[in-house]
Amino acid sequence: MNRVAVEKRVLSENDRIAAGIRERLGGAGTLSLNFIGSPGAGKTALLEKTLERLSTEAAVAVLTGDIQTDSDARRLMRYGHPVKQITTAGACHLDARMVERHLEGWAAHLDLLLIENVGNLVCPTSYDLGEDAKIVVLSVTEGEEKPLKYPGIFRKAELMILNKIDLLPYVPFNRDVARENARRIHPEIQIIEASSTTGAGLDEWMGWLAARVCSKRVTAETKAEYASC
Amino acid sequence: MHEMGIACSVIEAVQKEMERYPRKRVVKVGLRIGALAGVDAESLRFCFEAITKGSSPARRGLPLELDIELCASDELEMAHLELEDEEEAA
Repeated sequence: MNRVAVEKRVLSENDRIAAGIRERLGGAGTLSLNFIGSPGAGKTALLEKTLERLSTEAAVAVLTGDIQTDSDARRLMRYGHPVKQITTAGACHLDARMVERHLEGWAAHLDLLLIENVGNLVCPTSYDLGEDAKIVVLSVTEGEEKPLKYPGIFRKAELMILNKIDLLPYVPFNRDVARENARRIHPEIQIIEASSTTGAGLDEWMGWLAARVCSKRVTAETKAEYASC
Repeated sequence: MHEMGIACSVIEAVQKEMERYPRKRVVKVGLRIGALAGVDAESLRFCFEAITKGSSPARRGLPLELDIELCASDELEMAHLELEDEEEAA
């Protein structure tokens, strides 16, 4: 019997597909965001408010993942942008292959691709979907210890949206402790407090989004210019 | 929670790697599981056994054992494979 060293990530096949998606979207200047949060954290409502505020002329598309039903897709379709439901039929996360398959047939140029992962703070963290950034949505009804209990996602997320802040007067949730816990796990994490119900924080969120969409497009254009030189 | 999917990915990764060793058979897979990888070792072992301990002849080429090492990263890696010659197996 002999031992051979491998030293590869187990999910390297997923990573390979994700790299292909990243290259394709990057070339087209599409910003891709992967929203991860517990079931009921308010991911769909936040995306609804986002779509409502985006111009219908912006080239935006949404992929939404759920274990069963297309109810989220039906909610998101009302805003005039293309939406596809990914029903995982049991899987607790989206993987790059599912995203690749569902991107087929969509316009070559998109400014923004919003991916709503299956409600879960653990499994989606392991699967690269070719996104530019992961965004973790944490609602105040979940408790301020979440970043410490689920460090993986808080470490990988670029932005934390502290959601449902309109409920702060009614729940024993200490926002300062929540922020501190998130920063203990990931000192550079950006934090936006928001409420889809009252609209609080949505201007800040839309500003973050607009800046990222813009810088992604500029990067793609610059690269294309260099390539044509 | 997603260990069954991970177990399938381990097997896929092993099968891919084994294309490099056509006359060998894999008996053990060495995995390195990071504390932040979000993978529970015992649950993964359970799922892995559920898949590989089947009696179907198509499953015979699958590794029999997991050798798990825990570490302090957020990665899940296949560290090594233990192989034997096919004649040895027969």
